[in-house]
Amino acid sequence: MKKEESRQIVFKVQRYNPETDSRPHIDKFVVPVTHGMTVLDGLLYIKENLDSTLSFRTSCRMAICGSCGMLINNYPHLACHTQIQELHASTLTIRPLPNLPLIKDLIVDLTPLFEKHRSIKPYIMRRDTSEMDNPTAEFSQSPEELERFLQFTYCIKCGICVSACPTSATDKLFLNPQALAQCYRYCADTRDDGEQERFQMLDTENGIWHCHLAGACSDACPKGVDPAFAIQLLKRRLVARIAKVSTVTEPAPVVPPPTQCKPKLPFPEFTVKRDPNAREG
Amino acid sequence: MRNSYLWLAQLVTGVLIAITLGIHMVWMHLDTILNFLGVELSDPTSWISMIQRSKEVIWVVLYTMLLSFVLYHALYGLRNIIVELTPSSRVKRITTWSIIILGIVAFAWGSCVPLLLLSR
Repeated sequence: MKKEESRQIVFKVQRYNPETDSRPHIDKFVVPVTHGMTVLDGLLYIKENLDSTLSFRTSCRMAICGSCGMLINNYPHLACHTQIQELHASTLTIRPLPNLPLIKDLIVDLTPLFEKHRSIKPYIMRRDTSEMDNPTAEFSQSPEELERFLQFTYCIKCGICVSACPTSATDKLFLNPQALAQCYRYCADTRDDGEQERFQMLDTENGIWHCHLAGACSDACPKGVDPAFAIQLLKRRLVARIAKVSTVTEPAPVVPPPTQCKPKLPFPEFTVKRDPNAREG
Repeated sequence: MRNSYLWLAQLVTGVLIAITLGIHMVWMHLDTILNFLGVELSDPTSWISMIQRSKEVIWVVLYTMLLSFVLYHALYGLRNIIVELTPSSRVKRITTWSIIILGIVAFAWGSCVPLLLLSR
């Protein structure tokens, strides 16, 4: 079997240990790269073979968990979702995500991201608390109604949109694109009735009106979510509400339990026939 | 909803500037086209024409409105840019009041001349 060809790629990785370093510095590693290797594979090679002290966050390796967001050649990417060959570079510069506090090496503190996400109340809110506490059935929602916000449910909270956002870079208190997009996701959900409550969070000095519509968040999102679009739609809802032209609709009702059910398909026959009279043991 | 009202006013003044400034531009600088359309104007940018317009209420109102729209739109935008650069609430407060005072002074300065001319 022919051995797969590899070429040497220089990984310039930002290192920072808060216990020993006063400021971050760059370490260079030479990594043999083969076809199909991702940046995360390269970092794992460094950790396993060259320097075990290198710290970075990773989990699923398939762009689902949102752990390995980092600045690769000055652009935020998921390391597991970025092939080294597609970057067409002999040197890769890898830094932690900007606009978030640095913990160590490539690990940033995502607490501000989650706190802002929590602040917009990312869950279904309704006035019928008895139904919420003791649900009797599902709330009705058509596929068309789901389609209106479906793409925004694909957010994996990786923080890449926040690191790409120029407003988040200058205004640390800005309610970031991730939180704003998730706010729209829940406001646009027909089952939800918490829009008025969430709008109190948006209508602040550092709220939705500070988005400049640079669109960097949508460009950088590895999941194809369009936070800039969500923010514009959210602004429209907010303006419609204050201009008193919004069509306020009641949240989706509870779907009554089905009166007729399809009969269950019969259980398939066992391929190995068993003697009902035979006794086990 | 205070910030939303302020921002909505920013959007509305943007549209109103486009309308009032559009009237100014057409009347002052596109008089050749207006002549072609049958509106006869004799050198609208001359001193005599300007003094003549300053005695007409509609022009004084138009320019006073344009001044107020431009001041709000520009100064609120400037305030937002400055406020974004600092998390300090004290700096934000100083910026806001400075901008409000600057706006009032600029409006008084800009509107007093046409109003005085109109009252003569």
